[in-house]
Amino acid sequence: MYKKPCGVFDESYEQDSALVRTGYRWSMLVLLLAILFVAIPLLAGNYVLDVLNNIAITLIAALGLQIVIGFTGQISLGHAAFMAVGAYTSAMLSTHLGLSFWIAMPLAALTAGLLGIVIAMPALRIRGFYVAVTTLAAHYVIMWVILHGGDLTKGISGLTAGEITIGSFVFDTELKFYFLVMSLAALAVFFTSNVMRTKIGRAMIAVRDNDLAAGFMGINVFRTKVVSFFLSSLYAGVAGSLLAHYQGIITVDQFTLMDSIWILAMLVVGGATITGVIMGVVFFKLLSQVVLFGGPLVGSMFPSFGGSAVSAGMQILFGVVVILFLIFEPRGLSHRWQITLSTFRLWPFPH
Amino acid sequence: MVFFLQILVNGILTGFIYVLMALAIVIVYKSSSIFNFAHGSLVGLCTFFVWQMVVGWGMPLYVAFVLELVVIAALAFALQRLVLKPLTGQPLMAAIMATIALGEVFSGIVVLFWPGPGRVLPVWIELSVLKIGPITISSESLTNVVVCTLCFAIFLLFFQKTKLGLAMRGTAEDHTLAQSDGVKVDMIFVVSWFVAILVAAIGGVLMSSLYGVSYESLHSLGMKALAVVILGGMESILGALIGGLIIGVVESLGSGYIDPLVGGGFSEVAPYIVLLIILALRPYGLFGYQRIERV
Repeated sequence: MYKKPCGVFDESYEQDSALVRTGYRWSMLVLLLAILFVAIPLLAGNYVLDVLNNIAITLIAALGLQIVIGFTGQISLGHAAFMAVGAYTSAMLSTHLGLSFWIAMPLAALTAGLLGIVIAMPALRIRGFYVAVTTLAAHYVIMWVILHGGDLTKGISGLTAGEITIGSFVFDTELKFYFLVMSLAALAVFFTSNVMRTKIGRAMIAVRDNDLAAGFMGINVFRTKVVSFFLSSLYAGVAGSLLAHYQGIITVDQFTLMDSIWILAMLVVGGATITGVIMGVVFFKLLSQVVLFGGPLVGSMFPSFGGSAVSAGMQILFGVVVILFLIFEPRGLSHRWQITLSTFRLWPFPH
Repeated sequence: MVFFLQILVNGILTGFIYVLMALAIVIVYKSSSIFNFAHGSLVGLCTFFVWQMVVGWGMPLYVAFVLELVVIAALAFALQRLVLKPLTGQPLMAAIMATIALGEVFSGIVVLFWPGPGRVLPVWIELSVLKIGPITISSESLTNVVVCTLCFAIFLLFFQKTKLGLAMRGTAEDHTLAQSDGVKVDMIFVVSWFVAILVAAIGGVLMSSLYGVSYESLHSLGMKALAVVILGGMESILGALIGGLIIGVVESLGSGYIDPLVGGGFSEVAPYIVLLIILALRPYGLFGYQRIERV
């Protein structure tokens, strides 16, 4: 809950329900958007833009997982599989049927969303660990189907996805793509924060806190879970579709159980808010950049460990980071951020 | 018909290893209500450590066995004290995430210290073939069945007859009550983790004696054990037994009849498909408790 500074009062319902309330926050928002859409494209090189594109795509997927885990309290280990469904549907539509990205992406998102409902059906009657293992099982089944899809999915060799175009304008460089994914990521953040303020969003939070109690209060628990799984897979589908068209070729190796786990880890590190998701995604992606550059350096100091040392080291480091966060800061980076903010809101005049 | 029977027997034989693996997960879950997603990685880690001792360092078997016990005890103690105890009272998500993260750490360790392709354990039992009518059973898989049954029986006796077993069952019922009766719940958790990791090591070594030490197959063995546990119902040892045999048979039938049709790999996912179907029909697994809750 955002605490307003002293002297800011709501005098109408419009003010009370506004997403951005104070002039200060408006200016910060405009500043952020200016940095994202003007400063970074002007200053950043292709490598940085590539990293940012990946961050934006992962952010969309992570927001989807946040709806199911953070807001509805159902643990899904199959998020990467839903991303794969989105990516492959989009790539198949564009390669085999020649549809443009603007038709293929919504269709891919919808397919992933509907499949999410199907997979969630058994998961809806059950709770806790059962949901986690059901989605895990779904992951293996979906990935097997994709791997054995024959000519439709091209199995192990990978499927190509066409370029994104509007008329004669082609999104072929990192910079052009950056505008597309960053806008979509910003939209996703906006949409998710608004979903949480609607009736269904509040129902999700009630189901998370106690589904029996929520049921007694007249919330349709089944429908709430279905909608949250649908939305979550929808986000995953969009993210997968973007990934497919960004990279131009997708293989099953890009959607492993590990990828689901890393998105989960981002949520743990970030914390259970929208800001938390953003922080978690950025934190993990930057950490992996650090390992990417620092790893070979450390690896050259211990040559006995050989070539796979970097990826193994990354795995160990990420695992340890998650455990440390669980133990020492279970509410994540966003909680730390809130503490810092509220400290400086009063500083240096405690009153 | 002979083919079918042979496949059925093979399935039951592998099923025994799943039963053992599932037992390890059930023990930890019952005592500490933590569902161990790190089991697959633990199986891999322990088996590679056994390989390191026996082949890498050339230790005699009994020394390796004692050292393995010491290492597993230390690992169980460290797990409980450093990771799981600080997480007491956290929501379900934290426990799941902690075991998943532990799994990543363990699998990272395996890749770091034993990179490259798989290893081969020495042959401990002379390979021979037992024939019952038209059905053949290799001596190795027969040994596996014997070892698994023995372990299973020992654990059942341990739970029923010893004081520690009683304390563990009490802890499984209610932590607070057990504690007020003088059970050191913390130590019980360590013991249950010790048993679980030991079982993981035994299962891993048995599996590797059949197929060689490879991290992927050991990890997928542990992951399938998760499916077995959920299939049988999380609190149920009987469920683990039946679930393990079902999964073993399903996998074997899948590899015998459907793999030739679709081009391989179906046996890997067949257990998960069965799991999805059974959970859709029976949400608490075959023998799990249907919890009645109060708000």
